[in-house]
Amino acid sequence: MCRIGAIKSKNKLHPSIALKLMRSQQEGHDDSGFAFVMQDMGGLFENYKDLPLLSMAATVEGTRLAEDILREIGFTRVMQWSPNINHQKGLKIEAMPNYMFEVVQYPKSYRHATKEEKEELLIDTAIRLRKTLEETNSGFIYSFWPDTLTLKEIGSPKDIGTYFDLWEGNKDLTSSIITAQCRQNTNYDIVRYAAHPFFLEGYTGLVNGENTFYEKNKYYQQRLYKGYMGFESDSQCLLYTLHYIHKILKWPIQYFKHTITPLGYDEIIKREDSEILLRIKASLAHLEINGPNTLLAVTPEKELICVCDSKKLRPIVIGRDKDTVIMTSEVVGINDLLPERGISQDIYPTEHETVIVKDDLTVERWQQ
Amino acid sequence: MIKIKALNNNNRMSTQELLQTIYDRIEEGETEFEIEACGQHDIGGAIWSKVDKPLSFRIKNPGQRVGAMGMDGVKIVVEGSAPADIGWLNSGAQIVVKGDAGDTAAHCAAGGKIYVSGRVGTRSGALMKHDPKFEPPQFWVLKNTGSFSFEFMGGGIAVICGYGCDESESVLGNRSCVGMVGGTVYVRGNVSGLASCVQQVKLDKFDKDFLKSGMVEFLKEIEKPELEGELLEFSNWTKIIPLPKEQKEQKLPVAEFKKTEWFEGGLFGDLVEDNGEVFKLAQTGEARLRKPVWNPEKCIGCDLCFNNCPNRAITKEDLKYVCADNKCIGCGICAAVCPRNAWDMINA
Amino acid sequence: MAAVKINELHKNDLPWIIEYDESKCIQCGKCVAACSFNAIKPEVETRKSNSITSKNKPEKVLVIKQNISLENYCHGCGMCANVCPNGAIRAIRNKDDKYSVAYRANKADSFKKGGRSNLNTEGRTLDKIKIGRISQMTDPSLDATRHTFELKTPFGRVLSPEKLNLESREGKLFETKTLPPNRWIYPVIFGDMSIGAVSWRMWEAMAIATAYLNEVMGIPIRMCTGEGGIPTRLLKSRYVKYMILQIASGHFGWNRIIKSMPEMTEDPAGILIKIGQGAKPGDGGLLLASKVARYVQEIRGVPKADLLSPPTHQGLYSIEESVQKMFLSMNAAFKFKVPVAIKVAASATSVSVYNNLLRDPYNIVGGFFIDGLAAGTGAAHEISLNHTGHPITSKLRDCYLAAVHQGRQGEIPLFAGGGLGQTGSFAADAFKLICLGANGVFTGRMLMEIAGCVGSDTGKCNACNTGLCPAGIATQDSCLAKRLDVDKVAQNLVNYILATDIELKKLMAPVGCSTLPIGRSDALITVDKHISNRLDIQYSC
Repeated sequence: MCRIGAIKSKNKLHPSIALKLMRSQQEGHDDSGFAFVMQDMGGLFENYKDLPLLSMAATVEGTRLAEDILREIGFTRVMQWSPNINHQKGLKIEAMPNYMFEVVQYPKSYRHATKEEKEELLIDTAIRLRKTLEETNSGFIYSFWPDTLTLKEIGSPKDIGTYFDLWEGNKDLTSSIITAQCRQNTNYDIVRYAAHPFFLEGYTGLVNGENTFYEKNKYYQQRLYKGYMGFESDSQCLLYTLHYIHKILKWPIQYFKHTITPLGYDEIIKREDSEILLRIKASLAHLEINGPNTLLAVTPEKELICVCDSKKLRPIVIGRDKDTVIMTSEVVGINDLLPERGISQDIYPTEHETVIVKDDLTVERWQQ
Repeated sequence: MIKIKALNNNNRMSTQELLQTIYDRIEEGETEFEIEACGQHDIGGAIWSKVDKPLSFRIKNPGQRVGAMGMDGVKIVVEGSAPADIGWLNSGAQIVVKGDAGDTAAHCAAGGKIYVSGRVGTRSGALMKHDPKFEPPQFWVLKNTGSFSFEFMGGGIAVICGYGCDESESVLGNRSCVGMVGGTVYVRGNVSGLASCVQQVKLDKFDKDFLKSGMVEFLKEIEKPELEGELLEFSNWTKIIPLPKEQKEQKLPVAEFKKTEWFEGGLFGDLVEDNGEVFKLAQTGEARLRKPVWNPEKCIGCDLCFNNCPNRAITKEDLKYVCADNKCIGCGICAAVCPRNAWDMINA
Repeated sequence: MAAVKINELHKNDLPWIIEYDESKCIQCGKCVAACSFNAIKPEVETRKSNSITSKNKPEKVLVIKQNISLENYCHGCGMCANVCPNGAIRAIRNKDDKYSVAYRANKADSFKKGGRSNLNTEGRTLDKIKIGRISQMTDPSLDATRHTFELKTPFGRVLSPEKLNLESREGKLFETKTLPPNRWIYPVIFGDMSIGAVSWRMWEAMAIATAYLNEVMGIPIRMCTGEGGIPTRLLKSRYVKYMILQIASGHFGWNRIIKSMPEMTEDPAGILIKIGQGAKPGDGGLLLASKVARYVQEIRGVPKADLLSPPTHQGLYSIEESVQKMFLSMNAAFKFKVPVAIKVAASATSVSVYNNLLRDPYNIVGGFFIDGLAAGTGAAHEISLNHTGHPITSKLRDCYLAAVHQGRQGEIPLFAGGGLGQTGSFAADAFKLICLGANGVFTGRMLMEIAGCVGSDTGKCNACNTGLCPAGIATQDSCLAKRLDVDKVAQNLVNYILATDIELKKLMAPVGCSTLPIGRSDALITVDKHISNRLDIQYSC
């Protein structure tokens, strides 16, 4: 099991808040890793929102290879930031030599390019970087996208926090959306890529649970889009499905729920939209999940989403006050951060529900 | 009274450290605990007082399984909400949650009382049981449950008050009481999507008396005595109990379906002569595969056929042998014993 | 008469030898009366006592004897033993059987039979596959009897999501064009056995069971009619919506179907174009004259003669033509509202067919049925039954993986059949094939067995071709067909499906699946390395 959390706030928050959110949920995971994605950046990154931000962890060689590739394509460095590393002895962490967060300017030839063309360039570059680092076993690319910063590491979340000096808040590294997960990965090999949250083109996904339809999902997804790669974790499939439904098919977000956990035939035929739902159920049967999963996600519109499996097998609760919404596995995490909120406003999503937190923090609860 | 703070500066006590501290204090005779927890599991469970005084816990921010395996003589109050599995295998403790409880609350509880002043999550009340040597477990919830509640319930009493849930389609969530074989769920408000193995019936006097007395105590513990009048308006209450075994559905025989729904005279009635009779093996008359034909020219009247026919189908009249179709099964013994081949077996 | 010359047929040449215990026999004649093969007869034996006395006259004794004949010989069906009150008679398998040699040597003709291949030398792949993924903590198992499961599968053309062309308006999706017909059906289809191949009673029992399961039990099972026409009564009834109408190369019975169209109130469940069958791939249908009863002649529009469906549809000589002509015609006939599927025999070329069909530019291919070599048949040349074809498992898997390779899995639903339940575990066979990629399975063989077929995979009976079926299933003989109890058989068919339903759930539950595990090959393991490599499933030991 892992423990997951997503925070969205009107204020810019430091990742220390994610560490604190997850701290009390420690017995719910195996203390083997910590990862987070920040979106809608503040602080040092506030002024570079439209420019691609590369998040990577690499060896010296890997860093050089990545820089070469970026330069070759025509990206130019605008700003670079590295965390303060605390080399204290005895920390439980398997660190990489370099952690690089670099804002770059698009190549000159892209100055008048459309949004789509730029996005295409970013995903192609990310794939190339990833392949190169993989071939040379020299590092990991977590995200290459504007206004998005990702850090993942293997070890104890507490010590990872100490290593990167994340326990004390500051105004340099902040964002309005932070998604975080404790536990290194799923049931497969320990690889950094397998750690949630996963990121693809503005979509972030993190999952508590076991996607038992992993192989079916993967067989189907691997041909759908070039960005669907890796498959180190069965949970990645859920992010790809979300991306496919929302970005590629351009369907309303509610149909994500209809895809991963379609209603039963007997329920569908009673409904007015039965024809559409049956078509989706058949056409996207290979993207169904049938195991225990709670998914939290962020969309490019900066909305938070929460969806559970059809039996609601994994815990999730949503707590909020006027400035902040938190989704996380156990209520105790929210109690730590928002002790004064009204608990009757807490939301316990059901098996048929999609909870959407809009950019203005209003909450929509949509029943399947 | 002892206060324990489970998070000091940045150092969080592990569950084991916290529980060990509690055990040590109980050994020393301590009975009252105030715990500011940080998600530690199993607080208040499987422990008993070492002195002649009940144990009491007041807990903030507990983790999962508050009061798991809770025992007689233990009282636990959670200030605020608690995550999954409160009162798991509760055997006698009184557990009060002043907020909401997470999934699988009261799972397998077989004793004690669990009071929740908010909602409870999915699969709550699953597998509750009642050991007849002891008082049945009670599980009181002020608001509603998540789906799949009371799955496989085997005994005990649950009371779901549906407070503030007038708009809700089902205060028990969807697919409640699947596989329930025992116990009672009292419920106030709408219920839908109930499993087919249970029935929802009106309250009787016993039920009302139980609710009256129990409600007062419940509301006192969750500090909402003002709700008594509203919640004891019995017209909104029903109870859910398992269907008796004999009332479970009987299947319609296919032959009955055929009689009432199928084509008159059969699907092939206009194509084949068939009155529906089922032929046995070695039956007489039309069912015969072969039948004997007597040939008077060859017959010498020796009576061997007449005497050997196993079914006495052959009779002799005026020196003629006659085979009765309604007795003959077409075995051909007449033909076999005839010394002159006067009987031929032909296909029927 | 016993043979006296070496080159005559001997009792010991026959496949079955009648074992008769004279001391138990009461000479009731029932065994002879019950034998549809005319393989035994009463006979008077002349005997002489061994003792030497002055008056030692020969004694005449009535006994039951076996016919020694190429035509009337024992098929081992066991009816004599069933009917004998004293257990005085039974058929014993003859290990040294020379019958098939004698038949060919005397008749200059190939040997024909019914049933299925009796050459079981391959071992059964499905039995070497286990359901290995049982949820242990990773994801919860379900409770097979108390949780809900959905055993339904799409039948009909499934379009990729892009091709659905759905339009989004105010947060909802709407159709923008007419989409091909697609229905959700039970993953088991009653396999295609024609009126003619089976008796009217057997066919009616299957139809009743189908109707009952749908209307009383809510199990949307479908029955494929086989190629022998359909009674007009059924066509005009509401029950036709549970029927998949078959058209094969003989096109038998279609005149009446076409004539009934204006009066049909429901669309049929589907159309199945039969190109081939697993039991005898490359062979057409065969109904020997003995089974062409008067009503069969009527429905099919033919005289009493051996009816041979050609091995191929006249006019369909390429895959493209079959798609464009046959699928189009059958879609058009039912106004593009009824799924049209195709059935082929598993063979080295069936994957090529599937690959081609997957392109389906007109969205008219509604399903692909593959029939493996252990399938049954009403009549075939033994040489075809035993030596042609392809086992179903790897072929089904190949088709599924071919679709995966094109990213089109699920678009043309796959249905597999051929020998399912051969070793007594129909539900397990079905489950494994579904995990390997089948949307569902079809079976004829199980229906026969449920109805009381006495045949086996090791030469017992297998006389469907003769029209002398002792169980009243594969016969048109009025005396034999009426042995079959329609009510009982329909009830048993229903019961078997209900049992199968429980058993399928019993396999879905521990895997943690509440919906059909189509393509969940990760749920399977095999103890055979070759099978693991071939099917791309996990090897375990």
